[in-house]
Amino acid sequence: MEGSRERTPHSGGVKRRSKSQSYRRSIRTCFGVASGLSLTPALTARRMNICRKAPKSQNITEKVKPEHLALLVKTEWQLSYVTPLYQFRHTQLKTYARQLSAFIAAEKQQGLAVEVGGLQNTFKVSFSVLQGLAETNDDPETVLIQVQSKPMFARQEDPPKTVWSGWLSCINGNPEYLQSLPKDFTCLPLFCSKGAEGLSSLVKSWLQRTFDCCFGPLDINQTTLQWLAALWTNCHMETNIQKLKMIWTLPVVPPLQVTYTVDSDDALELWRSTRESSAEKSRGAEDEVCIDFSEVTRFMQGLMSHFYRHFRVDLSAGELNQVSSALGSAKLNGKIKISSSRYLISIFSLLTECALLKMPI
Amino acid sequence: MDNLAKHLLQRLMRRIPASMLQSTLDKWGRLTAEKRKSLDFTQSKLTITQELVALCEESELTVKHITELEMIYVTENPNQGMWHTFQLLDPEDDAHSVELMQFKEQFKSHLSELKRNVSVKIKKHTDEAVWIRVAWGDGLSRPNHLKATYVVHYLQTPYVFVNALSSKNKPLLLQALTLSTKHQQIKAANLSGQKLTALRDLLMRQYQQVFPTKYPSPLPESDQSISKLRIEKVQAEASANRHRMAGETFGDGMLPALQSAFFQLETKFKDPTNEAMTQRDEPFICSVKFSSSNLLESLRHCASSGIASTPVTPLLSSIPLKGRNYFVITNNVPNA
Repeated sequence: MEGSRERTPHSGGVKRRSKSQSYRRSIRTCFGVASGLSLTPALTARRMNICRKAPKSQNITEKVKPEHLALLVKTEWQLSYVTPLYQFRHTQLKTYARQLSAFIAAEKQQGLAVEVGGLQNTFKVSFSVLQGLAETNDDPETVLIQVQSKPMFARQEDPPKTVWSGWLSCINGNPEYLQSLPKDFTCLPLFCSKGAEGLSSLVKSWLQRTFDCCFGPLDINQTTLQWLAALWTNCHMETNIQKLKMIWTLPVVPPLQVTYTVDSDDALELWRSTRESSAEKSRGAEDEVCIDFSEVTRFMQGLMSHFYRHFRVDLSAGELNQVSSALGSAKLNGKIKISSSRYLISIFSLLTECALLKMPI
Repeated sequence: MDNLAKHLLQRLMRRIPASMLQSTLDKWGRLTAEKRKSLDFTQSKLTITQELVALCEESELTVKHITELEMIYVTENPNQGMWHTFQLLDPEDDAHSVELMQFKEQFKSHLSELKRNVSVKIKKHTDEAVWIRVAWGDGLSRPNHLKATYVVHYLQTPYVFVNALSSKNKPLLLQALTLSTKHQQIKAANLSGQKLTALRDLLMRQYQQVFPTKYPSPLPESDQSISKLRIEKVQAEASANRHRMAGETFGDGMLPALQSAFFQLETKFKDPTNEAMTQRDEPFICSVKFSSSNLLESLRHCASSGIASTPVTPLLSSIPLKGRNYFVITNNVPNA
């Protein structure tokens, strides 16, 4: 029976108000009339954490179906943030799939270029829940959207090809913020997409008009890239990351790209040496160890000073564009790839935090 | 025209861009002017290829002629694939008197002694470069014309540039080169890249050099200056110095379009603020790759803008000075 397992927080028994009233309310929420709604507690809570727990290797195959994990890992996703969805129901997924299919077909008829296949292709959309990724009680369950295409003259036995996929999630979202949202809003701020840009725009467009939300690009900024460099190096204690690779661009003419690859054991030693040594943080009790951003900064400075000693080139004059290791890769333009499901939750918690920071209120 | 010749021609036609077809065929000269005029170059490549194959068949052209066409195309468009540089060492007394005919004979005979069934073509290009095309076979099979090695050598210089050479055939080719140029040794020169012209210009210093001068600017006039002007003057001097040193290190004007440089670093980690790492005995293993559409211009701009401190470190200045782009640095001493 549909609806028993999927949760949509705050969905209680809400009476359907008149459309104009609810629309107005959602707009107000979006653009923040602070006097009417007390949002200040949420505001002060939403700041980039300067201290975070080291990612632990988690075997999440018990929480999440392996076939779902296989869809998420080893593939590069383009990141966007999305504001809370108004009146989104995890129980209505089949309806949404039908509506989105119809929308895509209608837009195609109008001549909007979709870039995938010829005019004869039919698109089939499916919405599903990726159970188990939500970490806390406030996190809504992750929703996966897939668009499959089948050329009109394909044979019956030819399987339809997935030409676009995307997923909305909220992993370890800030509980104060999530609880401060009015009822009827589902917060799934992290949107990951893969596939033709035309289809991405169509899906976002439909989501925007159906759930009154806004999308924006989620760039992975310098701070987050540095966090990932340090966190992945930290993971080398449990899982071999092979190498830590960082790519900078320097603003000269023509632009100069510097690829700095460090052996993982040496990177880990440097990382360990920059951690503040204190009794609780010694080898023994590393369970609840907290990493401070100042340690990340010292680690990066160590790497850059070793570079400077040899080349007398100041990497901080440029921009860090990409960080990668055997565990995945992250690029400044908002592209992320996770190669191991063991650290999926940790990395996406970090990205959920980045997405929540982009919320307009 | 046998099947191999046809296949070779079709493959070659896919490589040559449509815009260069007509001029390349003209240079080749194996088809009469009449036949060339009959080709309609506005058609699709596929159609032109089919017509060309028919014309070549009529003229009874063979593999030998097609390989000529390939060589003309590659010689005119050398900036493809990956070129590796080698340096000839220990010349014998008569090494600098080796001239083209002698070199050609010697190379062909040495190579065929080392390996049977090789097909060698040698041509001198207008800019004094000697181009060699080698198709490798062995005792059992005919030369493979689909995977030919190209070699470029400027007589009386120690440099040889090689493209598409398998590790199996490498020792044979290098030996033949060493013997025919009357040297005793050959070694890898640690300079590789896609653009042959950039590698060649870098090694042969065919770009504008800037020589260091002791007095770079005329003696300054004694000037009455307000303090702001003084600051500007100091900044301008610093900037002029940076520009001068950048030019002295890398050159002036257009620089050879080298695209990358790779450094394997195995040196100790030294940082006064980090005792733990500084006290380590083992080296800190890392690698750095610089890439750009014109690396030398990027580095020069780094130096002139202050992103790279001047004077430029020997690691970076070795690129133009020593003409290399692959380095292994150990124990805090740059590899010579």
